[in-house]
Amino acid sequence: MSSSSTPERIGDETALVALEEVEEVEALEQPRKGEAALGEAAAGAGGSGWVTAALAAPGLLWIGFYLIAPLVIIVLVSFWTFTDAGFERTWTLDNYSELFHDSTYWDNMLSTFLTSVIAVVACLVLGFPVAYFLALKVQSLRIQIALFIIALAPFWTSFLTRAIAWTFPLMGREGALNQILIKLQILSEPYQEFGFSTLSVRLAMIQLYILFMITPLFFSLAQVDRHAIEAARDLGGNWWRTFREVILPQTMPGIVIGSIFIFVLTMGDYGTVATVGGGNITSVGTLIYSKIGAVQYPQGAASAVLLVIVLMVGVWVITRFSNLREEL
Amino acid sequence: MQEHETDIEGAAPAAPSPQSRSGLDLVGLTKVFPGGTVAVDDVNLHVSHGEYVVLLGPSGCGKTTTLRMIGGHEFPTEGEIVLDGQSLVDLPPHKRPTTTVFQHFALFPHRSVLANVEFGLKMHGVGKEERRQRAFEALDMVGLTPLADRKPRALSGGQQQRVALARVLVTKPKALLLDEPLGDLDRLLQLRMRVELRNLQRQLGLMFIHVTHNQEEALSMADRIVVMNEARIQQIADPLTIATKPATELVARFMGDNNIIRGKVTERDGDRLVVEDEEHVRASVQAPGASQKVGDEAMISVRAAAVDVDPNGAAPAGGLNTAECEIVFVEFLGDLVKLHLLTGGERMLAKVGAEHYPALRGREGERIAISWKEADVQLLDA
Amino acid sequence: MTIQTMAQAAEAVERPQDVVVRREVKQRFDWAKLGLGIYFVLFLLFLYIPMILMGILSFQGDRGQLTFPFRSPVSIDWWKTLWDTNLFNTIAEDVSASGRQSLYLSLLAGVLVAVFGFMLSMAFRRRWRFRLDVVTFFVLMLALMTPAFLVGLGNQLLWRFMGETPSLYWTALGANVIWGIPFSFLVMLAVWNRYDRHIEEAARDLGANAVTTFREVTLPLVWTGVFGSFLFGFTLTWNDFDRTILLQNGYQSQPLPILIGTWPSSRPILPNLYALGAATTAVTLFLIFTVLIVATLRLRFAGAPVTRKAEELGEAEGLDTRVTGS
Repeated sequence: MSSSSTPERIGDETALVALEEVEEVEALEQPRKGEAALGEAAAGAGGSGWVTAALAAPGLLWIGFYLIAPLVIIVLVSFWTFTDAGFERTWTLDNYSELFHDSTYWDNMLSTFLTSVIAVVACLVLGFPVAYFLALKVQSLRIQIALFIIALAPFWTSFLTRAIAWTFPLMGREGALNQILIKLQILSEPYQEFGFSTLSVRLAMIQLYILFMITPLFFSLAQVDRHAIEAARDLGGNWWRTFREVILPQTMPGIVIGSIFIFVLTMGDYGTVATVGGGNITSVGTLIYSKIGAVQYPQGAASAVLLVIVLMVGVWVITRFSNLREEL
Repeated sequence: MQEHETDIEGAAPAAPSPQSRSGLDLVGLTKVFPGGTVAVDDVNLHVSHGEYVVLLGPSGCGKTTTLRMIGGHEFPTEGEIVLDGQSLVDLPPHKRPTTTVFQHFALFPHRSVLANVEFGLKMHGVGKEERRQRAFEALDMVGLTPLADRKPRALSGGQQQRVALARVLVTKPKALLLDEPLGDLDRLLQLRMRVELRNLQRQLGLMFIHVTHNQEEALSMADRIVVMNEARIQQIADPLTIATKPATELVARFMGDNNIIRGKVTERDGDRLVVEDEEHVRASVQAPGASQKVGDEAMISVRAAAVDVDPNGAAPAGGLNTAECEIVFVEFLGDLVKLHLLTGGERMLAKVGAEHYPALRGREGERIAISWKEADVQLLDA
Repeated sequence: MTIQTMAQAAEAVERPQDVVVRREVKQRFDWAKLGLGIYFVLFLLFLYIPMILMGILSFQGDRGQLTFPFRSPVSIDWWKTLWDTNLFNTIAEDVSASGRQSLYLSLLAGVLVAVFGFMLSMAFRRRWRFRLDVVTFFVLMLALMTPAFLVGLGNQLLWRFMGETPSLYWTALGANVIWGIPFSFLVMLAVWNRYDRHIEEAARDLGANAVTTFREVTLPLVWTGVFGSFLFGFTLTWNDFDRTILLQNGYQSQPLPILIGTWPSSRPILPNLYALGAATTAVTLFLIFTVLIVATLRLRFAGAPVTRKAEELGEAEGLDTRVTGS
């Protein structure tokens, strides 16, 4: 602007300056970036702050009571002891030291962790083509959404129903899998170990939670600019290179979110393991449940706290793979 | 120098007009957003009934915020807004006698065209029969009666705009505020709507305040133009004055097709100054009331259309109100030719008629002489 | 090379495209799409087969067992035990009691989720004074990510600490609602994203006060999001197990999933379990597909917009400026 050249048209400099100013003023007249996508409610009377607080209060209070308070209690209880008379509020680290010295606990934690990792990887590998197909291969938006909902519908059905199917009907001694394998003459007699096994638990987990991976992937992929892909092909990239250099980086946020979901859900799962594993398989969840059942609340709470710590560490590790904040 | 109010003769800056009983007055209007940014700074303006005023400026200059304050969708930090003697500042939008036409029309998508137009009347408690009748009158006025039952998404951009117009006119406001009303339309429709919108305003005799960043639109439609930049008014004048006698550098730049020469005053003779820049281009200007002395910095501007070009003339050396340039590009635009020129390091622009094109075509790289008259030179404020 | 010599050089060469070739160009067949499409169908089978299997198995005759092959002819006998109290293997009472429990809880949860999610999203889109939006976001993420089981555990401990065993409406309802709120919030975010705030300003401009604006303009335009939130809350609660399992008090009927999930330890396992499972699944699927169909139908009747071409060519009508009055 300080050069003494004359703009012949309002195009060049003025427009560039104008663009910056537009963003500046628009940024002022609209809320901060995180909310910009939501648009701004016109400020009615000057007391918009109060209305906002009144709107947010009920939800936040509810969550405060039913989520924050319980979590706090868990932490507290993990440091207490429990007797017939109720909670004894003396601070103690016994519960934790018991756990630390319990090798079965760590074995359990490790096997649950392994199952989790397997679930994340499997869901990613198996789910990516589905998301890819829906987001990038299906042309009509309407069909995209219809297929997506059809794929998503099972998620809303009772997971328990689907879990039970992984016991007798599919994997049991007389289950479908065994019968098919026998018919195909791969097995000569039913294999007992299909059902109520680590295998069936893992399979069930994948089936039940894969939708939590597909959804973020789908949304991430849907935002990839198809023209960018075409441009990459145009400049000489083959399919694999294009995928790695153009598509994959843009999908990272979806991968990270999906992985976080699946990791957290599988580590903390109780129902699936209990039902499909039928008591043979233990996880951190079943362990906590049994401790609670044995009225050993503090130990159960301590296990829960340790689980949360493992979860936080895991989530932190996963987020290292992408600067998630920027994407949001 | 913050603000200029010049009338058609380009007289000296006047004090802000006192509040009158009739028309709209903005007095010292200021808006500071939380966070400290000043969006509108001390705006003073009087608009008479029946006048078509355009607020013009680059995006972010404060014109939209000013409009929103008049309409009640934004609250001034300081200042007064008075319409026909009544202060509007404490009134919410629905109690003000102004209505706004929004940039993207803001029609109610879930309602039919007729219901959209009836909305304002319904809010004011008008009875059903009368509502329908007045709504149909408004739809007739904009020529949309056969589409009364359609939903907005089934309409084209131009049709949507007409619905937006009908919707506001049916409430019989005292002033109509338009926020970039032609921005969403296709180009040819834009050009046509300028004419028709202006005609509509004339026939209604209503005060229109129109915000735009399109210079041509402002020149074409306004009775008076208020040029704003960085929260302040740069100049208020009728279109002819704005186009031929820009008062500040921003106005000259923003209107486009102006040659701006920055230099020092080398002579002063009464009202007449001579300004010379680093390339030794010298221009003389009549500037009564100018405060610069010899040796001070000064800026002048000459319209590109006022620059004469002699395709075959020789290049005189170091003359007054003339310059020798190299032709960078000859741009043919149908009715006229824009010559992009270079003097030393400075870019200059000349506009000549299309008849000169054959003589100029293909002469990029050659040197040519340009000249202009002293009467066409404007002294600019910073 | 200067521009002129480049042009000369180009003219000198006979370019391939100058030679006219008659050739049929076929669309390249998208193998990837076919492959992925097949994969997608297999995937759907993978998801749906357990439910289908269970559904099929529930239609066995009265000597049926838990697995294939069918040992007796197809019948709905096992289904009958779900509602007919007179049959031998009836579980009708439990089913109807649990069914009602689930229904009430889910309806309430749906309403609460819709209300809270809506209010939170409304608050989120306004300007915040105290940077509460960051806190809200964090809290919602926490609600989304905390393992269901832990939420149940915490709530159980909380109430035990207070020395009470309250009804499910105080415990399970709360725990389920917090799981639904983040989903509702995300849905509402998407809805507000498409929403033009100027519409509200226009309504205000035309004389509507805040309440009227909300009722006449805002709500009709966002109600789909609110309804979606309700569905979220409903189905998440209808199907929840982990959250509610630790919150069972002895004196209220168990919600359906708990009934099913704790079945093996207390009752003989018979195909009527499959019937029950299939029934609960059918309810949800029915809901979802109805909504899907309704939504597609609504979209289809929306009405096509007028083409821009007429306007671009300058042929569109303008205002009728022969105004006869004002």
